[in-house]
Amino acid sequence: MLDVTRCFVLLSVLWAAIALIAQVAAARGGGREEYGERSGSPGKGMLHNFTIAMLPWHKETVKHHPGKFAAGVIMHMGVILTLADAVVVLIRPTTGLIDVWSYTRWVVACSLVSGVYLLVRRICSRNLRVMSASEDYVSILATCGLLAFALLRSIDSQYQLIFLAYVGLFFVFLPLGKLRHSVFFFVARGDYGRRLGYRGVYPPTMERMK
Amino acid sequence: MSERDTDGARIAEKACETLAGSIRGLAAYHLNACVRCGLCAETCHVYQGEPVPENHPGAKVAKVAGYYRKYHTLLGKYAPRFVGAKDLTLQLLDELIETVYGRCTACGRCGIHCSVGLDVAAVIQTGRNVLAAVGKVPEGLQRTVDNQIETGNQMAVPPEELLSTAEWLADDLKVEMGDDDASVYVNQKGKRALYLVNPREVKFFPLSLMAAAGVFHAAGESWTISSKVYDVTNYGFFSGDAQSAAELTRRVVEEAKALAVEEIILSECGHGYRSFRWEGPNWVREEYPVRVRSVLELLDEYIVTGRIKVDPTKNDERVTLHDPCNLVRHGGLSEPQRRVLRAVTRDFVEMTPNRQDNFCCGGGGGMLSMSEYGDRRIASGRVKADQIRATGAKIVATPCHNCADQLLELSKRYDLGVEIRAVVELVYSSLC
Ligand code: SF4
Ligand code: SF4
Repeated sequence: MLDVTRCFVLLSVLWAAIALIAQVAAARGGGREEYGERSGSPGKGMLHNFTIAMLPWHKETVKHHPGKFAAGVIMHMGVILTLADAVVVLIRPTTGLIDVWSYTRWVVACSLVSGVYLLVRRICSRNLRVMSASEDYVSILATCGLLAFALLRSIDSQYQLIFLAYVGLFFVFLPLGKLRHSVFFFVARGDYGRRLGYRGVYPPTMERMK
Repeated sequence: MSERDTDGARIAEKACETLAGSIRGLAAYHLNACVRCGLCAETCHVYQGEPVPENHPGAKVAKVAGYYRKYHTLLGKYAPRFVGAKDLTLQLLDELIETVYGRCTACGRCGIHCSVGLDVAAVIQTGRNVLAAVGKVPEGLQRTVDNQIETGNQMAVPPEELLSTAEWLADDLKVEMGDDDASVYVNQKGKRALYLVNPREVKFFPLSLMAAAGVFHAAGESWTISSKVYDVTNYGFFSGDAQSAAELTRRVVEEAKALAVEEIILSECGHGYRSFRWEGPNWVREEYPVRVRSVLELLDEYIVTGRIKVDPTKNDERVTLHDPCNLVRHGGLSEPQRRVLRAVTRDFVEMTPNRQDNFCCGGGGGMLSMSEYGDRRIASGRVKADQIRATGAKIVATPCHNCADQLLELSKRYDLGVEIRAVVELVYSSLC
């Protein structure tokens, strides 16, 4: 049974990878050259957009919503940890990453709490309701489920199969809805940084950073 | 099927085609990236002016993304309600008009602060492309584009008016500078630079053009205006009509070739700079045969190289600077104007925040030509008014005639008591 589940997980990861690559490739289809004479460096712009520009103190969004931003970061940390955990479980079914270091279990637990908080907030905030579709709620529920099953598995190995099966389902869903931002985050930030770099907007001069 | 239905189906089909074209290569990246986290609300001046959910940047992205999902994603096709996918119907296209023209100046500020880092302005521009393709551009904005295509300039100023304005400006300049050689050159072949101006300078603010002519004279510049093609603006860019935008760009390039100039100098205009310097080559899909610079870069060069001598005490009052979004956040030109202002004024102070982080004045994105959104435009300018007030400045310099219009109105409405000046005017008044 374990082997079947492991196969399912691997196939679902493969599906997600192919589907996401196809989506990125389709988006790139028309190409987008810059013909104007370059006044900066696309590479440096991209680097800036992935580093300094992401620092919380450079983001007004963080200044206005520190708690919500922190909840988002913690939830994503938990997801990364959980997926790493799934990889370890796939390779060595007897131990998971979360069991090896017990504090990681706490990170995942905090991450789950953050996920629930973000879900409640989405339900209660009028601004968020207006821009949300059902998939926004389902995506966050799916993420909370992932975190919850990872925790359960780390507490009781009986949940191992369920956890892996859930991971498989998670990857089947991932390229279909908003969870695809896991790839498009990098693609969009990279594209924007490259363009701002080309036009000399990024990186700002040291004088500008003061 | 009724005539309206057939018409609707044809429009929707065209809208879909344009959407497909626009998303390839750019917008799909960004349309797929928004997680609707809602953190960007306060980064938007429109939301700050009127904090309703519809003004939230995330909601504006969601509106455009709804159409994208319907036609370009699997779940959008088979479970549209689940992912918030929408058909491009006539009624929904009308709703989109309000979102992309009436609630957003495409200033891009929210994108800089977005937790994901997506280019919200590009998404909004995609919406505008779709609407422009099906002829659903707000009337005032469309009229401006039509004027520009039909007469060569957005205000439909006849060439004779430009010629007579240039003539009397030249006469005044000779007197003011005490030099009979000072002039405003029009249609002169073989000069070094072709100077593009905002028709507003010709029609309402000729002193701005005279200031430029005065500085050029002081620097010994070789320059000319073309009476046929002199408009630095490009309203096709605002409306989302890439064909018209490309046509206007081509005309300038052809005129530069005909006049055999080495360089095109763009007068102070935010979107004029962005559209000609950056978007223009992409519209016509080739590099320009001549160099293109903003007049700000030229003024900076004159001062740094000592081609003109300036005295900052001639501009004694406190001056602050408004950064036009298209020039700075989208165009990357933030420092020359600062070096110039520091050289020609005695008390220059920055607004907070500034440069690529600056707030839009509220008049961007073609907003000034859409009177139906006038109240929202003024409300969204409150943030800018507060920024200006906090500097204690008496003069607001802005390298954009479009922003200048909005700032003049904000000064009246919010009782700021400030004077709005172009950078070149301050340079002219500081000449030794
Ligand atoms: S911050 Fe970015 S990801 Fe979040 S709602 Fe705004 S545009 Fe979307
Ligand atoms: S681009 Fe500017 S006006 Fe449009 S939503 Fe973003 S901040 Fe607001």
